[in-house]
This record gives sequence, C-alpha cells and structure tokens, in this order.
Amino acid sequence: MLSSSSLDDEFMAVRATGVDRAFGGVQALRGASFAARPGEIHALAGENGAGKSTLIKVLCGVISADSGTVEIFGQTVRRVVEPGARRRLGVATAFQELSLIPDLTVAENLLLHEPPRNRLGLVRRSQLAATADTILRRYGVDYIDSFAITADLSVAHRQVVELVRVLATEPRVLILDEPTAALPDRQVEWLSTHMRRLRSQGSCVVFTSHRWREIEAFADRVTVFRNGTHVTTRDRISESEAVTLMSGRTFEGAYPDVTTIGRGDSALRVSDLRGGRLAGVSFDLRRGEILGVGGLAGQGQRDLFLTIFGARRPSGGQLSVAGEPVVVRRPRDAINAGIGISYVPEDRKAEGLFLPLSIRDNIALATLSRRSRFGFVDRGQERQAVATIVGRLRIGAGRSPAQAVGNLSGGNQQKVLMARWLLTDAHVLLLYDVTRGVDAATKHDIFELIAELAAQGKAILFYSSETEEIANLCHRVLVLREGRISVELDGPVRDAERIVAASLKEMPDA
Amino acid sequence: MRDAMGWLRRLLDGPASLGYAVLVATTVVYFAVYTSNLGHLPTSFDFLSILNTTLPLVFVAIGQSLVVITGGIDLSVGGIVACCVAITATTVDGTGVMPFAWLLLVLVLGTLAGAVNGIIIARARVAPILATLATLSIFSGIALWVLPVPGGYISPSVRMVLTNPTIPTGLIWLGLAVVGWLVLRRTRFGMRVYAVGSDEASAIAVGVPAARVKVGVYALSGLCSALAGIFYVSTTTAGDANAGAPFILTSIASVVVGGVSFAGGRGSALGAMAGAVALTLVIDVIFFAGIDPLYQSLFQGLFLVIAVLLGTGAALVARARRGTL
Amino acid sequence: MNASHDRRAPDTTELVLAPTGTMVGSQASPTARRVLYAWAAAIAVIVIGATFNRDFATWSSLRVMLVVASFIGFVAAGQMLVVLVGGIDLSIPWVLNGAAIVLTTTSLGQTGRMPLAIALALGLGALIGFTNGMGVAWLGVPAVVMTLGMNGVMQGLTLGLSKGLTCRSCASYAPQPLRELFVAKPFGIPAQLFLWVGVALFITVLLSLTTFGRRVYATGVSQRAAFLSGISVRGVTVALYTLSGVFAAVAGIALVAYGGQPSLGLGDPYLFESIAAVVVGGVSILGGRGHYAGVVAGSLTLVAVITFLQTQRVPEYGRSIIYGLVILVILLTYGRDKSNA
Repeated sequence: MLSSSSLDDEFMAVRATGVDRAFGGVQALRGASFAARPGEIHALAGENGAGKSTLIKVLCGVISADSGTVEIFGQTVRRVVEPGARRRLGVATAFQELSLIPDLTVAENLLLHEPPRNRLGLVRRSQLAATADTILRRYGVDYIDSFAITADLSVAHRQVVELVRVLATEPRVLILDEPTAALPDRQVEWLSTHMRRLRSQGSCVVFTSHRWREIEAFADRVTVFRNGTHVTTRDRISESEAVTLMSGRTFEGAYPDVTTIGRGDSALRVSDLRGGRLAGVSFDLRRGEILGVGGLAGQGQRDLFLTIFGARRPSGGQLSVAGEPVVVRRPRDAINAGIGISYVPEDRKAEGLFLPLSIRDNIALATLSRRSRFGFVDRGQERQAVATIVGRLRIGAGRSPAQAVGNLSGGNQQKVLMARWLLTDAHVLLLYDVTRGVDAATKHDIFELIAELAAQGKAILFYSSETEEIANLCHRVLVLREGRISVELDGPVRDAERIVAASLKEMPDA
Repeated sequence: MRDAMGWLRRLLDGPASLGYAVLVATTVVYFAVYTSNLGHLPTSFDFLSILNTTLPLVFVAIGQSLVVITGGIDLSVGGIVACCVAITATTVDGTGVMPFAWLLLVLVLGTLAGAVNGIIIARARVAPILATLATLSIFSGIALWVLPVPGGYISPSVRMVLTNPTIPTGLIWLGLAVVGWLVLRRTRFGMRVYAVGSDEASAIAVGVPAARVKVGVYALSGLCSALAGIFYVSTTTAGDANAGAPFILTSIASVVVGGVSFAGGRGSALGAMAGAVALTLVIDVIFFAGIDPLYQSLFQGLFLVIAVLLGTGAALVARARRGTL
Repeated sequence: MNASHDRRAPDTTELVLAPTGTMVGSQASPTARRVLYAWAAAIAVIVIGATFNRDFATWSSLRVMLVVASFIGFVAAGQMLVVLVGGIDLSIPWVLNGAAIVLTTTSLGQTGRMPLAIALALGLGALIGFTNGMGVAWLGVPAVVMTLGMNGVMQGLTLGLSKGLTCRSCASYAPQPLRELFVAKPFGIPAQLFLWVGVALFITVLLSLTTFGRRVYATGVSQRAAFLSGISVRGVTVALYTLSGVFAAVAGIALVAYGGQPSLGLGDPYLFESIAAVVVGGVSILGGRGHYAGVVAGSLTLVAVITFLQTQRVPEYGRSIIYGLVILVILLTYGRDKSNA
C-alpha cells in the first residue's frame, strides 16, 4: 500500500494498483502497487524474485495482470500485445535481454519496424544507413557503425544500440530493466544524460538496478519491492537500509575481513600465458589467497580465466599447480589438476548450469567417475555427497536436491556451481563474476563463502564487473591492460577508485 | 571500375559465395569432362537440356532457402511437388487459355498447402521437421490419389512457354526467379524473415509478427514447389506421383551447398539456386565421365559433404580476417 | 540441427525427471508424462482397431504387429540417441540396406561364415556412424548435412559395388541359423521380441544408470555447460552416432534374417518411421529429454495405425493420408514446443 493517501489523487505517469500475477504455482506479484510521476526518474529496487521484472512486464503491457489495474498517463492498460500499440501509448521498454537481432545490421535493427521504403515498397538500403546514422548521432553516439552486423559488436555497444532504439521513440514512459549492467562508466554517464533530458521534458523514467551507487546518483525516488509487494517509496534510502528493506534481514557489514587469512605455498603459477586477448600474463597464486583481476572491460580477464581452465586454447605459456607443471588443453585436464571454474558471462546466465536438470545432477556432474563402478553410478554415495555439500553451502533453503536448478534464484544457482567444484576437491577456484545478477543478501553469503574457502586453504582467482568487490574482497589485485599485467596492487585495496585509476594507466614499455 | 570491384567483392564475400564458387567449379569440371570425352564443347542443346532439367530444383531450392533462413526445414516439398505434378498432368491439357488457368489453380493450391504447413508450425508450435514430415505423408497420398499411375499429359502450348525444347524460354523464368528473390529480399517482409530466423524471441519483442512471417514463408515454399511441379511436367511431358520424393534431399543439398545456414538468419537463395544448378551438373559430369550411374549417389553425397566443409572452412577464414574469431 | 537450450526459460511448475530416474512430488515429470501419453496413444489405436475388427487385438495379430514394430524399434533406438543431443541421423536407410547386403554377400548363405558376416555388417554400421559423428563433432558439419551425405555415399557404394544387386554373390540368402533364429518362437513369443527387449534394456541401462548416460542428457541440455563441466562433448557425440549406425545395421541384419534375402530400398521406409517413433514416443527433438519406453510405444502406435489401415483395405493413397493425419494429431496434442513464460 502506498504510504501517503494524497498520492492516490495525484496524476501519475505510471500507476499500478493491486496487481496480482502468478506463473503456474508461483505468485510473482501480490496486490502490488507502484506509482511514478511524470518528470521523474524512479528507481525500482528489490532482490531477485521480488517481482521487479514481472512488474515491469505488466507495466509495459507485455503480460497481463491477473487482477488489478495499470494506468499509463491516466489511460488504463490491459494486455497490449502489439508493440505498435504500446508505441502509441508512449511506453518504451528496454529489457535485460536485449531485443536485437544478431544477424541484422545496426541500421536494420534500429529501423526494423519502419524501414524507409520507395514507392514500390522496397527498402532503400542507402537511406536505411543514413537514417540510422542520423538517429545514432542525434543521441550522441558516433562510435558505432550502422553497417556493422549486430552480432559483431561488443555487449556494451549492443546495449547502447538497444538503448538508442528505445530512446528514439521519444517515449512518455521509459522503462529500463538493468540498463547499466553491461555499460562502462562513460556510457552510464551518457545514459543518465538522456534520462535527465527525458525527465525535463515531462516524461517518466523507471529503471531497475542492483548498483546502489547508481540508484543514489540518478533516481529522484526509490521504490523497494519484496516478495511481490510494494514495501516503500522514498526520496532517499541508504544502502544498508535498502538491504534490510529488500531482504528483511539486517545488514551485517559489507565484506568479510580477509586480512586475517594466512597465505601458504604457491597453488597455481602462471607463466607468460598467451592466447586470445592474453599477451603474456604471469603470476603466482598462493593457497589461502584471494587474488583479484581488475582492469577495464575486455582487457583479457575473460580469456585469462577460460584459458587457465582449458576452455580456450593457449597459444603459449605454462601452468604449474602446486609446483608441478601441468598441461591443460581442455576442461577435463584442469579438473584433474584441481582447478575449478564458476563462470558467469556477460549475458548473465551462468554458463555451466543445466537448468532443467536437478540440483543433484548439476552438482554431481563433474565428479561422476569418482562415484561409479564400471561406469555405473552409485546413487547412494552420490546422494550423500550432494546432501553434505548442499547443507554446507546452504543451498536452496531446504528444497529437495531433486528439484530443477532453473527454479532457484540467481544466488542459489551460483552456489550450485561452486558446490560442483568443491566436490572435485579443487584447490584452485576461478570465480568469474559470480555475483552478477545476485541480490545483495545472497552476495553477502557468497562473500562469506569465498572467505571461508580461502581460510580452508583454497586459492581463489576472483573477477567481478563491480570493481568495488575486487577492491574489498581481495588480498591482491592484478590490473590487466591489453592482455598484460600493468599494475599490481597490494590489498585489500578498499577504494575502488585506485583500481580504476590503475586501469587507465598506460602500459610501461616492455 | 571501383564500382565493379566493390560489386565483385560483395559477391565474393556475400552469403551466396559458396554456392557461386561451387557452381563455377562444377561448371569447369563439366566442360573438362565433356570435351575430353566427346571431343567438342557442349552444344546449345546440352545447355538447353540442363536449363530445363534444373528449373524444378531451382524453384524448390528457393522455397527451401526461405524456410531454412527462418530456422526451419520443409520436408513436405516432396509431397507438394508430387501433388502439383499429379494435378498438372491430369488437368493441363487442351488449347487456348484453359491450360493456363489450370496452371494458376495449381499455383494457388501449392501456396495453400504451404500455408497449412505454416499454420501448423507457427500457430500450433509444432517443430518444422515433424510437421512437414506429417504433411509430406498427407500430400504424397493426395498425389497418389489424383494420379495413381504415371501418365498424364501437358498441353503443348504450355510447354512452348515454359520449357521450350528449342528456345531457351526457361532463361526467362530463371531470370524472373532471380529477380523475384532480389525483390523479396528488399521488402520489409524479407528483413523480417531474416529477423525471425536470427532471433525469433527478439523479433517478437520488437514487434515483428513472427507467426505471420512463418506462415508466409511456408506458403512461398509451397508456391515454389508448385512451380517446380509444373515445370517438371512441362519438361518430362508426363506426370509421376513419385516424382516429388527426390526433391526433398536435393533441395536440402542445394540449400547447404549454397551456403544457407541451418541455424537461420543467414544466407541467400541465390546461393541455393547456384547449388541446384551445380547438383544437376554433377549428374551430367558423372554421366560424361563414364562413371557407372549406380555410383551417382556416392558422388552426390561426397559433393555435399565436401562443399559444406569448404564452406565451414571459408567461414572460419572470413571470421579470422575480420578479427571476430 | 543445433539447439540452444540456455535461452529456454524453465517452467517453474515442473519438476524434472532427472536421469537418475526419480519422480519427485505429486506431479509426474514431463518425461514420464510423455511416456504415458505415448502408451495411451498406442492402446487407443489398438482399441479403435479392435472395435472395427475383432481379430485386430488378438495375440496372433498383436504378435505380428510387435514384430514389425521391433524393426522400427531398432532404428528408433539409434535415432533416439542422436536426437537426445540435438542431432539427427538421416543415413539410416542405406546403412541398414548396406549392412543387410554385406551380411548375405559375406556369408554366402553358409553357417560357417556367419560370425564374420555379422561382425562385418555391424562393423559397417559402426564405421559409418563413427564417420557421421566425427563430421558432426569435429568438423562442425550440421547433422542433417553430414548424415544426408553419408546416406548418399552408402547408397552409391552399395549400388555400385553390388552392381545393382546383380553381382554373383548377391543372390545369397542369410545364413540358416540366423533365419531360424528369427522365425523361432520360444514360449510362443517370437525370438525377435527378445532381441528387442535386449535392445530396450541396453538403452535404458545405458542412459539411466551409467555415467555415460548422465553425460548424454547433460550434453543434450547444453553443450556449452557440458563442456565447462569437463564432459567430452565430442566424445559423447561420436559415440552416439556410432551406436546409431550399429543399430541401423542390427535392423538390417534382422530384416534380412526375417525375409531371407535383401532388396534395394529395404531401408527407405525406416528413416521417417524412426523419426516419427522417436517423436511420438515423447523424445524432445531439441534434445535433453526422452526415454526409450516412450519410443517403444511410439513404434507400436505407428505399426498399429498402418496395420489397421491395411486390414480395413484402405488403398495406398488413403493409408498415406491417414497416417500423416494421425501423426499430425499426435503432434498437435503433445509434440509442441512449450512457449516461454
């Protein structure tokens, strides 16, 4: 329920009242209310599973509400199937999953709905490109070629194209679901400029984000959702208070103290590793150490992780595990050498999870041969091993391990992935962006887990798209630039700005 | 000159380049084998016969390309071709306008049959390979019902227009097919076909009526199969209800050889057309090389696999050059 | 035929039948449900047939149908294996035919040469299957293309080397013991069916009880995730295509043992039958889901429909039309792709 009754009378750009929506047996929204004013930037916050995405879909008319009403600038909206109709209402939405056609050019994607045509109805190719260029430039984007095939662009550029596509409709209501997840700082700035512009024109901008810094910086008001209902709407909410509101738990402090964790012998030594974007990386990862990998996006972090794990072919260099040289040409070699990886790529879904398969199957999959005789699986052993690790990592809050992983929240899914590698007795854990798309409370759990694993003597290589996490969680940070280590920072660094500054520093001449 | 270079580069780098390359290579081999065995270059009669023989497959290849570009497959082409062959061979006789009216009817029927496929696939959401497998059986049965034994007749006036044995009227139809594709490619519908094939979910999200596009694509495939049926009867001057079956695999082969990707969203029917001509030529190559015709399918099979390997290899090279590997 | 599974949103109401074979909760898993539907379809067709013709559902009639269904069951076993990882095997017709001819021309009808002949026939199936698998897994050739090409290759080689089945040894029969085996009826049950039970057990044990089976389902759900879990996706793929080739050869051997002599085009009907049986049996054409119990039901359903139409003396064109319609109806009721929520 909205906290102030006077808001019931105020004219809202977007208003949802008493909205219920269920998917199968899961109640995603219960009596949800939401109201955002015209000429306002409104943030929508909440954990995964709080109903944000569902609310957004109901607001923009992609799905219908089971009950309740939705109004856009006073006009009641039911399910609006035809995007053309939505356009006429003035609602534009950019979802987390980009709606760009990979094999089409940027120009075709921007103008797919209404391409410039001649009298015969044929698309005018040259005009297509020119019109697209005009649009891009109008929104301050001059670095993307409208002839480029969309699939060839980086994720950040694709996100920009998607945002331009949406902005170009000059909507009265702009809804953005995690718009900054893939954007570097400069583009986040660019987006905020346009959000402010729309605000000054009297439009309403609603966005969701997990990054509290952005919410504080951009939003005029914040709404918190939990369990499918509206909790509160305020002008300012501190991050710690927000976590409490979102999870119902009190915030215990952001990061575990890693300074108390002692470091031992070398667990993984990387010498002059090359391949893909890697141009020669060398470092030593010790037992009990959490080593961060920082740098601007795309400087080789991804290739580093994948190459060490054998998912990418190296073109040079060597690896030693616990002092012994190992040859890793494919993931099976890495697993045998005691390396495990938990990898969440840019499109957010954890690569490595089998969503329709059970928790048990997902966890047991990398160690099948250990619990088998003549190729037959020993189910009893498996059940036991899985139950132990599920309990230890507190996965799924009491759900049966026979349940499908697809039903779990993002945070629990991450835990399942980590459980798989823990079962392999991996000494070296490569954690790539494991907190992407995870709500604050579960992030906290994962940080604690990482610290615990380090205390047990595991060696952890850590990357996160949120520099702040690297700054606070790691003993040391290696900054990559152009595929090489440019700077090494002793940690915990604490101040993310230092890493960012180091990322921008030019490479010293080799 | 620069325009020509640009045009040439687009030709070589484009999605149909594999098809063109294969066609050129096959043509060269054809010439070589022909002249070395017969002592002279192929005559105009040979070319005409190749043209008329290949036209049916060219049409089916266009339809199959459209379907494959949307990420589907059409196994029922065998049935629709057979149906149209059967109906054509039993109705298109006489003189004057009537035969042509019947032809039109056959085209409409083929299109409707294809639309049925499209509706099942798009509205009822049955996987294309399965839906068209079922309709293949249905349409083949209808063909057998219409024409239980091979036979039938084609009106000479129709034959003169379509696949004239002395004048290459077939070239006109081939040209129209090419133009038809180029026009289609440049319509909004054409853009939508590629969009649906590349990423259907996103296409729907941005307002592309994916279901309608799919129905349209399968309907066009049906139309192409109908054209193939008509031209088949015109060339062979008789009908056979079993004539459709070979087209299933040869149309898929043409599409593959032409560089159209089964993942959808990429490729050009021009490549498939080139592939179709190449496949027809291969049969002649085998014949003139004196290879036992029993081994024909061996070479067709090898041809298919090698063409695809070359295509995959070329694609990898292209991506490496572009730096996106 | 590659399918990306990571884009499929999970259906939050379904509890998946894990390959471990457990059914959790009050809701049966989708795979179990599909198997049930497949059997319901089979029984429904038999019941309908019995209402039109009292002799339709007698033991002797069912026995014949089961035997005919077993041939489909053999090829469908192989087809199911490759479909589980999102592939397809279009080379079944001529691997079957080739194996059948190899059996008779190698054995020359002599019992002494039987083991060699069987080994060669099965080896041929394995070889072609292996080649298919290598092409699909290592060279990245789409399954449709690779298996289609190999089918052509086998057709050409078989026709050419046997000179259109007119070679001197081509008039041979299958070895006598083999033929007797396939005509025998221990306990009144055709020996053929015991072979089918063996195949069914093999497939079920392989997929449900072994580590290999787990890897197969994992690969079918997501190749990328399987790769990152240390599964040799290539190895699994090659193994499955090889097995498919072997099963096609088994079908060829069985057919020629049953009929005595091979013919050209022996395998042609079995391609589309194998795909239909697999789909009617509830195996997802996208991969990652399915159980052989459903495929058995699927094979039986198809044969029941064909037999029913034959006993009703429906002419060939009518059979073709009705058969297609029946498959269509079955597809419409449960063969659809679920739309993402």
